[in-house]
Amino acid sequence: MDNEVKKPKIAIVSLTSCEGCQFALLDLGERFLEVAGMVEMIDFRLLEDLEDPGTDLDIAFVEGNPMTEANKKTLLSLRKRSKLLVVIGNCAAMGGIPEMKNYHEQKQTIKHVYKYIQGIENEEIQEVYNFVKVDFTLPGCPINGEEFLKYLPFILENLKSGAEIPQIPDSPVCVECKKNGNRCLLLDKKPCFGPMILGGCDSVCTNSNMACQGCRGLRPTANVKAMRATLKNMMTDDEFENTTEIFGLRDDIEKWEADHKE
Amino acid sequence: MNIKINHIAKIEGHTGFMASVIKGDVKSAKFEVQEGIRLIEGILIGRHYKDMPTIAQRICGICPIVHNLTAIKAIENAMKVEVSPETVKMRKVMEHAQFIHSHALHLFFLSLADFLDIENDLDLIKAYPAETVKAVKIREYGMAIVKTLGGRVVHSLRNEVGGFKKVPTVEELQKLITNGEEILPVAMELAAFFKTIKTPDFSRPTEYVCLKTKGEYAIYDGSVISNKGLNIDQQKFEENFHELQRPKEVIKRVQRDGKTSYMIGAIARINNSSDQLTKNAQEYLKSLEYNLPDYNPFHNVIYQMVEVIHCIEDSIKLLKQLTHENLENALTKEYVVQEGSAAAAVEAPRGTLYYWVDIDSKGYIKNVNIITPTAQVLTHLEDDIAAFIPGILDNDEKAMERKMRAFIRAYDPCISCAVH
Repeated sequence: MDNEVKKPKIAIVSLTSCEGCQFALLDLGERFLEVAGMVEMIDFRLLEDLEDPGTDLDIAFVEGNPMTEANKKTLLSLRKRSKLLVVIGNCAAMGGIPEMKNYHEQKQTIKHVYKYIQGIENEEIQEVYNFVKVDFTLPGCPINGEEFLKYLPFILENLKSGAEIPQIPDSPVCVECKKNGNRCLLLDKKPCFGPMILGGCDSVCTNSNMACQGCRGLRPTANVKAMRATLKNMMTDDEFENTTEIFGLRDDIEKWEADHKE
Repeated sequence: MNIKINHIAKIEGHTGFMASVIKGDVKSAKFEVQEGIRLIEGILIGRHYKDMPTIAQRICGICPIVHNLTAIKAIENAMKVEVSPETVKMRKVMEHAQFIHSHALHLFFLSLADFLDIENDLDLIKAYPAETVKAVKIREYGMAIVKTLGGRVVHSLRNEVGGFKKVPTVEELQKLITNGEEILPVAMELAAFFKTIKTPDFSRPTEYVCLKTKGEYAIYDGSVISNKGLNIDQQKFEENFHELQRPKEVIKRVQRDGKTSYMIGAIARINNSSDQLTKNAQEYLKSLEYNLPDYNPFHNVIYQMVEVIHCIEDSIKLLKQLTHENLENALTKEYVVQEGSAAAAVEAPRGTLYYWVDIDSKGYIKNVNIITPTAQVLTHLEDDIAAFIPGILDNDEKAMERKMRAFIRAYDPCISCAVH
């Protein structure tokens, strides 16, 4: 009976973002509303305008990049209040589009945009895991709503019984791409990161003839060296670097290369 | 007395609002924007133009299509790339779909509860389950179009400079048409429900700015016009509208020459071009018995419903035309990358979106400027609230706050867009 089993207390919070990952959830329509009905929604600012009572939470879903002091405060407070903290989306997981600033003009980027820069927070962009322990990550830009629905039962089970949440399978985008009947873009010399990127997105980009740009991040056993060798005739080193910047992948690539120095 | 709203929920993005009232006189009414700066314009400089639509659409999760298309149009204008009529038609359909799913989200899930005195949408859904289903189904039609033509709803994939990476099959289009024809009566039913909603009274005459074109209700293209005689080419936008940043603020406000604020969005478009709406949309509008010109921002929500009907009807018409055309003509053909600079404007659900880009001979971005609808309308909203407050002073503080939040939400502000 409903009153005997307490509904899990959930919050869905966005830091600095386009909120696309939240909309990816809302776009699930009835299926999302069903989920919302099965939990106690303590804080979800997109759908309710009540004060956050500040109670302890079972799960906090965090979207967006912790850019400002207010963002960081919110993030730390959520971690303290919540049994589980789940990161949703590329901005939170990998720095996202905002991280591009780190790779070129860093603090100076602001001068292209604003005349008065005093009093505007302009820190280096960092991923959520630099600030708090993360219990699970749903990657992508935006996240795949189906993937959220797939892993939610495991996350809830972890709350109940402590059972480990399964990892997203270490399988390249290529597996889904092949299953979907696409012609491999690399065969046509179109630079695609598929082989080194974590699958689970149903190869949504390559299904539309768009090369994978790695928004889900490197998969655990990615072979960046082999990937770069394959891409050598398709893009310059500069072009490779530039493309890895779009979804905050570049720092992970550099770390891989540093860790795998012969 | 100070009225301080820390965080306005049920809008896109983060902002608070503060007003100071002394003896019934509103001394100040200001947004306190809490959004971090993503510096999209700054990070685009030096990047290849091919990345611009991908990056720019991530300015906003609810209206990525319009950012994507306006970026593409600006680049095409700058490099003088021509696209096929099939491409233009498909983009128009996508824009209609953008309106349908964004408006349906806003009018039902973000604003409606305000008019029914409900603070949690989960209560709204319990109280109005049939209407909720209708709103969800209407959104699904819009999203199906974007998914079919663009490859994905949030942050589409197939659109690019020059056309599309992949085009749908005739069967896929026919599925959309069937869907659309089923949804139109559902939209009319939801519209009938919205007609019964009582909106607060408020009126403050203003200038309504939007795109206008011959032969159709302007969304994808047009000249920039207003009800006060403005009529300029999109390329002349920045000569007539000036961005200005106040110290410490992260949203650059926009002023018309003459330094007055102005209004955009559904209410502006309908006030300026209602005679260009589709048949059912015009009939519904007439049945509302609003006297145009209408200067009540609360009606913006109902005007969004009018536009949903228009966009459903018009998208069906365009999709039917596309089934008789050669869709392969929309596939991107080779074009010359050359230096140039140009602007482009498209109507976003929330109002006119403007992009300007300067590209070098190798295709790298030298400079870019993005002016979003909400940035344009921020000052106007503050001016409106300053005029609204005296009329609600005889309420307790909590009630006043709720009325102000309802007012702000009726505008459908998108703060993430405004900051970008």
